[in-house]
Amino acid sequence: MNDVMVDYRDLYKSFDHPVLAGVDLAVGRGETLSVVGHSGTGKSVLLKTTIGLIMPDEGDVVVDGQSVCSATRQQMQALRRKVGYVFQNAALFDSMTVFENVAQGLSDEEQRGLGGKGLMARVVEALELVNLEPRKVLAKLPSQLSGGMRKRVGIARAIIGRPQILLYDEPVTGLDPVNGTVVHRLIARLGAELGVTSIIVTHDIEGTLPISDRVAMLDHGFIRFVGTADEFRDSDDPLVRAFLERDVPDNDELLV
Amino acid sequence: MQTSREEPAPGAGTAVLEKARQRRAPRPHSWPERRLASAGRSAERLLEHAGGMATLVWRTLVYLFTGRIPFREFANQVYWMGVGSIPIVMVTGSLAGVVTSQQGGYQFTGNMPLEYLGSVVASSIILELGPVLTAVVLIGRVGARITAELGTMRVSEQIDALYSLGRDPVRTLVAPRIVAGIISVPILVAIANLVGLYAGMMAAQFTVGLGRQSFFYGASLFWHDWDMFYSLSKALAFGFVIPLVACHMGLATRGGAEGVGRYTTAAVVTMTLGVLILDALFPPLLLN
Repeated sequence: MNDVMVDYRDLYKSFDHPVLAGVDLAVGRGETLSVVGHSGTGKSVLLKTTIGLIMPDEGDVVVDGQSVCSATRQQMQALRRKVGYVFQNAALFDSMTVFENVAQGLSDEEQRGLGGKGLMARVVEALELVNLEPRKVLAKLPSQLSGGMRKRVGIARAIIGRPQILLYDEPVTGLDPVNGTVVHRLIARLGAELGVTSIIVTHDIEGTLPISDRVAMLDHGFIRFVGTADEFRDSDDPLVRAFLERDVPDNDELLV
Repeated sequence: MQTSREEPAPGAGTAVLEKARQRRAPRPHSWPERRLASAGRSAERLLEHAGGMATLVWRTLVYLFTGRIPFREFANQVYWMGVGSIPIVMVTGSLAGVVTSQQGGYQFTGNMPLEYLGSVVASSIILELGPVLTAVVLIGRVGARITAELGTMRVSEQIDALYSLGRDPVRTLVAPRIVAGIISVPILVAIANLVGLYAGMMAAQFTVGLGRQSFFYGASLFWHDWDMFYSLSKALAFGFVIPLVACHMGLATRGGAEGVGRYTTAAVVTMTLGVLILDALFPPLLLN
């Protein structure tokens, strides 16, 4: 791959047990990659290593030419500014309003540069992109929003800084089908129009396959399958088939 | 597009995992080796905590001297820690003054000139009870809340979210709290000292009939200006240690809601011990 945006190089990570056991994967610039696998197979850990929220025990992650493991504090902050991260439970700041939460996606310098009206316009634009009515939610606290609305505010916060890379940790979990489709379309649009590189950790394989350039399956801390969406659909791998058909394979070991 | 460098066969993950497990599998040890290993792990944890707090202090100093502490958060913390704590600190200080005065009056009556009661109350409140009781109250009111707040932010990924947005939690959360503690606690201790002294005087008047002038005459007999400096120095140290330990433990929290409870309890114990140890270090350092 010539133009690699995110390169996971032989990643190992253990907590009280091994979670990543030699993950080797490259994601191209502008590519949308979905990472699937059973719960507890290290998908979220893999995503967090991308911006150094979790450091690997061995191996390295290289993001747009910058090694995560050897980055200085300043380099890491600059790297993180290129990346938008959508957390599984939105991770909104409880004490801040929706406006303040979304504005946090911009650096202090950017906020000062935009001024009051400019900042409001950017926040409104981000909220409208995720199908929220700014007028109704801007002044609310996260505790006053539904789970789905919180999730969409989290996405708005991730995209307001116009990042080059977007990392989605279960982006549609907790969303109704309509808003789930809105989010999937948004991911596709950001990829197609802005050339954003997207890595999506998800269980919603049906919704994600149409917008994915490639799919990787993590199993026991290892990349078990990686290929295009069509290759994934046509795969004979029993675990892939079980994922696609929502069927439990006879061989229980596959699900351990 | 080429996918990964070397595409593994299905099931290869299990073999790799087993290899990783074997690589990390502990070997059986004898009893002394296990005790030594346990002591080593405890020492490692202690050093990790010490290192973590030293890092917080260093980065707070950097943000303080480069003027990058967010003012709004700092002002919020001063208001909440300082202004919000005034009522409970006044109650604590006045009760300490009343109790000291009553017990001293009970012991002095018929044995010593009652004027000396003023000296006992002033020394007890200013040198010891004002700073220490204020610190203990603030551990419960401020320290526990900081740990629980930051711990909840940690387990709900809000701290990770700050990092992911290129923001440093030490700048946005820790530094404002530590600086606010350093500023607020000495003021609160000064208030506790004044209120305690006044309450002690009133109690002496009502219980043993010692007048205001006699009380303050007694208080002035053994008074040194250094005593107030000593009292406020203690307050400064406590105002630094309480938010430092609270923030460190909050950021170190792991393990969901149960973890928040566990780390908050550990933080309260550590802050209390820290305050009492510092309190014990002050006399040999500043009174000799």
